[in-house]
Amino acid sequence: MENLAKLPKQKKTLRQKLNKEKIAGYIFIAPFIIGFLGFIIVPMLMSFVFSFTRYNILDTPQFIGLENYITMFTGDEVFWKTFKVTLYYVFFSVPLRLIMALFIAMLLVRKSKLSGFYRAVYYLPSIIGSSVAVAILWKRMYASDGVINSLLGLIGIQSDIPWLGREETAIWTLIILAVWQFGSSMLIFLSGLKQIPKTLYESATMDGANKIQQFLQITLPMLTPTIFFNLINQIISGFMAFTQSYIITQGRPRNSTLFYTVYMYQNSFTYSKLGYGCALAWFMVLFVGLITLILFKTQNKWVYYEAER
Amino acid sequence: MKKRLLVLLAVMSLIIGLVGGCTKNDEQTDASSTDNTDGQTQDNQEETEKIVLSLTWWGNQARNDLTQKAIALYMENNPHIEIKPEFTDWSGYWDKLSTMASGGNLPDIIQQDYAYINQYQRSNQLANLSEFIDSGVIDISKIPESVIQSGSIDGNCYGISLGSNAPMMVYDKAIVEEAGVEMPMQPTLDEIYEIGQIIYEKTGVQTYFDGGLNMLQTVARGNESNAFEELEAGVIEATLEHFNNVERFKNAEFSISPELLVEKNPDIVETKPLVDQTTWNDFAFSNQFLSIAQVSGRELGICMYPLTSATEKQTIYLKPSQFFSIAETSEHKKEAAEFLNWFVNSHEANAILMGERGIPINTEIQDAMKANVDDTSAMVFDYIAEVGKIAEPIDAPNPTGAGQVEAELKTSVENIRYGDGTPDNIADNFVQSAKTILEEASK
Repeated sequence: MENLAKLPKQKKTLRQKLNKEKIAGYIFIAPFIIGFLGFIIVPMLMSFVFSFTRYNILDTPQFIGLENYITMFTGDEVFWKTFKVTLYYVFFSVPLRLIMALFIAMLLVRKSKLSGFYRAVYYLPSIIGSSVAVAILWKRMYASDGVINSLLGLIGIQSDIPWLGREETAIWTLIILAVWQFGSSMLIFLSGLKQIPKTLYESATMDGANKIQQFLQITLPMLTPTIFFNLINQIISGFMAFTQSYIITQGRPRNSTLFYTVYMYQNSFTYSKLGYGCALAWFMVLFVGLITLILFKTQNKWVYYEAER
Repeated sequence: MKKRLLVLLAVMSLIIGLVGGCTKNDEQTDASSTDNTDGQTQDNQEETEKIVLSLTWWGNQARNDLTQKAIALYMENNPHIEIKPEFTDWSGYWDKLSTMASGGNLPDIIQQDYAYINQYQRSNQLANLSEFIDSGVIDISKIPESVIQSGSIDGNCYGISLGSNAPMMVYDKAIVEEAGVEMPMQPTLDEIYEIGQIIYEKTGVQTYFDGGLNMLQTVARGNESNAFEELEAGVIEATLEHFNNVERFKNAEFSISPELLVEKNPDIVETKPLVDQTTWNDFAFSNQFLSIAQVSGRELGICMYPLTSATEKQTIYLKPSQFFSIAETSEHKKEAAEFLNWFVNSHEANAILMGERGIPINTEIQDAMKANVDDTSAMVFDYIAEVGKIAEPIDAPNPTGAGQVEAELKTSVENIRYGDGTPDNIADNFVQSAKTILEEASK
């Protein structure tokens, strides 16, 4: 009898406690939700609507249906050029960056006295990397009378090649800038490497496997989740690159270094075609979304999660 | 109990932080997504009597320093006014302004340009200044009527010109002397070609040829035509002639290579190839002379923008260098108009500004200043006086879409310089493209 009388009371106080925590929880996430809705979701929806209009910012937008999208694909050569340029950039900079990151991470995984120092040093470029100051510095370095050519001169190659002025090399100066900023990926690889059980390596060595076999058969497969994570992140941020192109080359020569985001910016604000700029933006959102989707769907083909055993 | 208290404390501090930081947050993120400071709020924050005016302009460091000095003086003389300045360079200015316009945050006083003023006036972004002129707040008694006209649309004034300006070619005096060349006051293209050749042979310094919009418009003017009218109608004359000129200079051994031009962008004063003596010449507007001379740190000479047609028809013109306009959304139009009046009419303001934006429009000030300026500025005064004697009327303001047409033109000229196509087919493509752009933009 007593027990029965107690039960409902206990339930009530338990529920009360839960409610209190819930309310506190909601209040804590409220700033983020408000910000997210106000500064991300709502503008995204607005930009989606604008993509169907002609809008020069100063006047009211005029609804024109799919015209922006049709013009994009059929009437705009620069669109195709910048799309290709951005794809090229991502296609080369992401794998190179990940390879560098993995390579350096493997060197740093051993505990040495200086490993902390090296980690910081290699991470530094990726923090200051996308800044305007570094971009200006990079531009100076690759000038025909800049540091790169001087260094080549030191090792005996006479060079006054204008790296930024040639279509073939200009984009590579930007790719190299991106690869130089491998630090953040490197840190993630480091933690991924540290999670591989040492016992696997030990038993492999006992079975007579050499370093290369160990790398290919143990390290890489165990790292695939990390590789997957880094790949998605780097691809997405690769497509969003802006500062390097805008500051260093302004898209020249002949739009061979014109990143998609810079073209979007030019259309929206320099040419006052915000509607068209929004259409460009949404195409990129869909395209990157598609790539991400493909990567996710195919991950069970190559990504090995230990937990799934 | 303890846990409840802790949670409660944390929640309260969060809410206080939210409310406290909220207003500041809104203002900053409200303004625009670019990295600017709080120069745009118009609320009377500090004392209830102080009126805050926001002011934007484009320019480089020289102009920024001078303008800020002038502003400081005005604030000293008028303690109830506070002016919040914001400035960028030319290439970022219009992007920033259009973001501000879209947020309804245009500054009280806006530096405007002949090429853009129409667009902003059409969208009702600019205040009608004629009422302030009529009421005497802006005194135009010593300002030539044509100057007020140049900022007027449909009979109403929307911008007060800040100075007169003319296109020019600058050259390095030392290099020209070393090569033993005499610079004519207004060279023809042939003369520039010959001089370029001689200078290259004698000193190894290269030549720059302006492939941009200015040159295209000059070529059209030389043929008694108008570049934008031609492009709107799909007519190829001026474009083809211009591209042939570009091709001709590109083939010359004394021309700066297009690869170097990517590094030494002539559009930005600090990176102009003239500055480090890669070329002996450059093309610009006369009000940039001061900045270019300062950055180069050497003696430079001015001559008129070249004659392009075989008939040597005069093509040079006087242009209002820039305007100050007042935003229609400004809450302090009268105070803004008073500042404008002081800026263009007072001796003390102009003594600081030194004609950096162009020769002052007030004729009394023009005469007074000429005696006081340094030699470099005096050169610009003289130049404008010379141009004024022979100038032809300026083209109508560029139509909407001109920005994109200019970008296409630059790419087309790059294509010619990199040898990717003949002037004929590049001109064809460009004219088609420009026609479509201008049509679209006028809808």
